[in-house]
Amino acid sequence: MTLKRPFDRIETIDIHGVRKRFGETVAVDGISLDIRGGELLILIGGSGSGKTTTLRMINRLIDPDEGTIAINGIDTQTIDGIVLRKNIGYVIQQIGLFPHMTIRENIGLLPTIEGWSREEIDSRVAELLILVHLPPDQFMDRYPKELSGGQQQRVGLARALVMNPPLLLMDEPFGALDPLLRRQLQDEFIGIKEDIGKTIVFVTHDINEAFRLGDRIAIMHEGQIVQLGTPRDLILNPADKMVSDLVGSDRLFGHIASLTVSDMMVPASPIISGEMEVQSAIGVMVQSGSKIAVVRNRASSFSVLLLSTLLQMRDEVKTVLEATDPPFFLSMDASLLSALEEMKAASVSLGLVMKDGEPAGLLLPDDLITRLV
Amino acid sequence: MVSGLLLTPILQHIVLAYTALFVSIALGIPLAILALYSRPLQKIVMTLANLMQAVPTLAVVAIVVPLIGIGFWPAIVAIILRALLPIIKNTWIGLSSVDPVLIASAEGIGLSEWEIIRYVRLPNAYPAIFAGVKFAAILANSVAILTAMIGSGGLGSLVFEGLAGVNMMKMLSGALPAIGIALFLDASFSWMERRLLPRSGQSGLE
Amino acid sequence: MIDEITAVWITYNLTERTIEHLWIFSIALIAAIVAGVAIGLFIYRRRRYASPVFSSLNAVETFPDIALLVLLIPLAGIGTVPTIIACVLYSILPIARNTYTGLIFVSPDLLEVGRAMGLSERFILLKVRFPLAFPMIAGGIRIAIVFTMGIVTLGGIFGAGGLGAPLQTGINLIRPDIIFVAGIWVGILAVILDGIAGGIEASLKRRFGSW
Ligand SMILES: Nc1ncnc2c1ncn2[C@@H]1O[C@H](COP(=O)(O)OP(=O)(O)OP(=O)(O)O)[C@@H](O)[C@H]1O
Ligand SMILES: [Mg+2]
Repeated sequence: MTLKRPFDRIETIDIHGVRKRFGETVAVDGISLDIRGGELLILIGGSGSGKTTTLRMINRLIDPDEGTIAINGIDTQTIDGIVLRKNIGYVIQQIGLFPHMTIRENIGLLPTIEGWSREEIDSRVAELLILVHLPPDQFMDRYPKELSGGQQQRVGLARALVMNPPLLLMDEPFGALDPLLRRQLQDEFIGIKEDIGKTIVFVTHDINEAFRLGDRIAIMHEGQIVQLGTPRDLILNPADKMVSDLVGSDRLFGHIASLTVSDMMVPASPIISGEMEVQSAIGVMVQSGSKIAVVRNRASSFSVLLLSTLLQMRDEVKTVLEATDPPFFLSMDASLLSALEEMKAASVSLGLVMKDGEPAGLLLPDDLITRLV
Repeated sequence: MVSGLLLTPILQHIVLAYTALFVSIALGIPLAILALYSRPLQKIVMTLANLMQAVPTLAVVAIVVPLIGIGFWPAIVAIILRALLPIIKNTWIGLSSVDPVLIASAEGIGLSEWEIIRYVRLPNAYPAIFAGVKFAAILANSVAILTAMIGSGGLGSLVFEGLAGVNMMKMLSGALPAIGIALFLDASFSWMERRLLPRSGQSGLE
Repeated sequence: MIDEITAVWITYNLTERTIEHLWIFSIALIAAIVAGVAIGLFIYRRRRYASPVFSSLNAVETFPDIALLVLLIPLAGIGTVPTIIACVLYSILPIARNTYTGLIFVSPDLLEVGRAMGLSERFILLKVRFPLAFPMIAGGIRIAIVFTMGIVTLGGIFGAGGLGAPLQTGINLIRPDIIFVAGIWVGILAVILDGIAGGIEASLKRRFGSW
């Protein structure tokens, strides 16, 4: 009744020196990659660059010729392939819903094999259909061909999630959809991703999709990983011309170079007093819908406060001041590029922009990059 | 010698089967082409073809008797009634399964209806027509034995005389040559298929 | 005219003949389905037998049906048994061929996803390939139904009874009434059975999609 779990959650996936050839073709040419638990890692690259092959080696649909893949330090070669795959969700562009089974049967297939009761299966299927925005009463008993492409893709995702696998592999899941629908499913997926908190390896051709969804992006070319980094790293420090062309650094830089900090900052609000009660500060921030507040201290100095930190420390501190971080100051008319460089060097992700001794705005590089692309 | 005694029935059998086969081809292919241009004709021909294909051969052979009697020509009619169907059906499928884009572009460059059939549809249909003719030939060979019941003569006569007289040798002397002819037909059609079709299968508009 | 039909019907026991006919037909068809599907499955598992098995079945298929019945006399005599054997020999090919084709030609995406879900090869064969092959198998069975109906009728000449027997009598006596009644009746039966098979095939196609 309970699925055998070689791992309950993903701490790390270590891909080390992995090589795979098909006859004369070298599909994957010695890649090494550390995937962190909980992240969404994008594999992007041209056709035939080895993305699908890499995915298929992670769940052992195929085995590498050389190198090892270890999940939480356990070499996957030591795990039974079928057990491994039942613990890894897999979604592909062609979806592959079984045409002779209803949506309920498609999603409930693994639970059925695992011997769940009919009620358990039904409630799990309904839960997942709701998660992917399909009303269960309407869709449970339909056959796949009675669904649109986008609906089928949602069912494909639901089916992959049914055993609550800690790891999800997705191979161009939105690749066959038209741009509008793709955008919509990406938005929905961002929400689902937060809900399910899984480690995801996601293959795409589409750099914008990569930027929107990815925590980190690995760029593949001819079976190798050319560069691995956050969207920001790739844009600001492309490893070579191929990468800068792909991420459109030139296009972005041409634009960025002329900008100042004031062009891209967001309003600094709310501004609250350092002595404010923790509870009321939370209230103010939630109400204004902002995750960051600027805190004014008595000495008319400033610091920044993250809602997440405040929520974490709510029981340990009396006033908000104790939960604040020292700010990284920027001036309004500094060049945006140099400001970003400075912040990267200091490895901070939040800058406080000042004007005449007063806070004028915030600069958030990660958010800014997604807004630019 | 046995072969001398067998020569006449074998020849009769072959004349019977091939006459019927050629008439079937001569009727079937034009009928299929006509069906392409007349919806009602197409409906009638295809429905009849499909229904008739299900009817047991013995029933077809039997019903010919009260309608046109017994002997060589009624036997030919019975064989045609069988052999015609696969030819019509396959020809029609081959002719009508041409990519519409190809037809449209042929019309676009100003080909006439007849030229479209000649240069686009027929080449596309050759493999299907060929398969239909092959199947019809095998059927004709088979029905030509049964028609001995209605006085066609040929190898079937030996079988039925043998059956009536419980003479196994006589039955085999009718059955084995018929099987031999069947295997020969099959082999030679396969050989022709390999020789002829790869070239015509490709051809469309040059 | 009704009177004539009734007279022939009663004189030649057409009710019993029909039951007999359908009985032989059913046994032959079921045997052919079991054997055909089994052979299709076997060849699917052992591909190297595909070519020899299909070419021999193909050769049998070209034999004139009467010649095959003659060949069976030394082995099984005349009557019902050789008729059923002949039916099965003819009908195995379309069923086995279609089973094999249906099992093989399943979309690679479905197989990829099935394997990625951790389904075993056995499960994929039984619960994915097989159901998806149903429409194909049904198509093969439909062809087998026509073959079987034809040969069961022919069996009447070889002492198997059924509706072929009165047809033979009619031809021998040159009796239009018997020929029409028995001939048209067996024709109607055949068309109805083919129609039912066609309906089942079409609904399977609708249900199981990809074919
Ligand atoms: N099963 C296979 N047999 C033979 N060659 C294969 C096989 N799978 C992949 N290849 C080859 O390996 C190379 C990498 O293929 P892969 O599918 O990993 O590329 P990809 O990055 O996913 O490409 P795409 O973006 O087109 O999906 C290609 O040259 C491909 O032709
Ligand atoms: Mg791919």
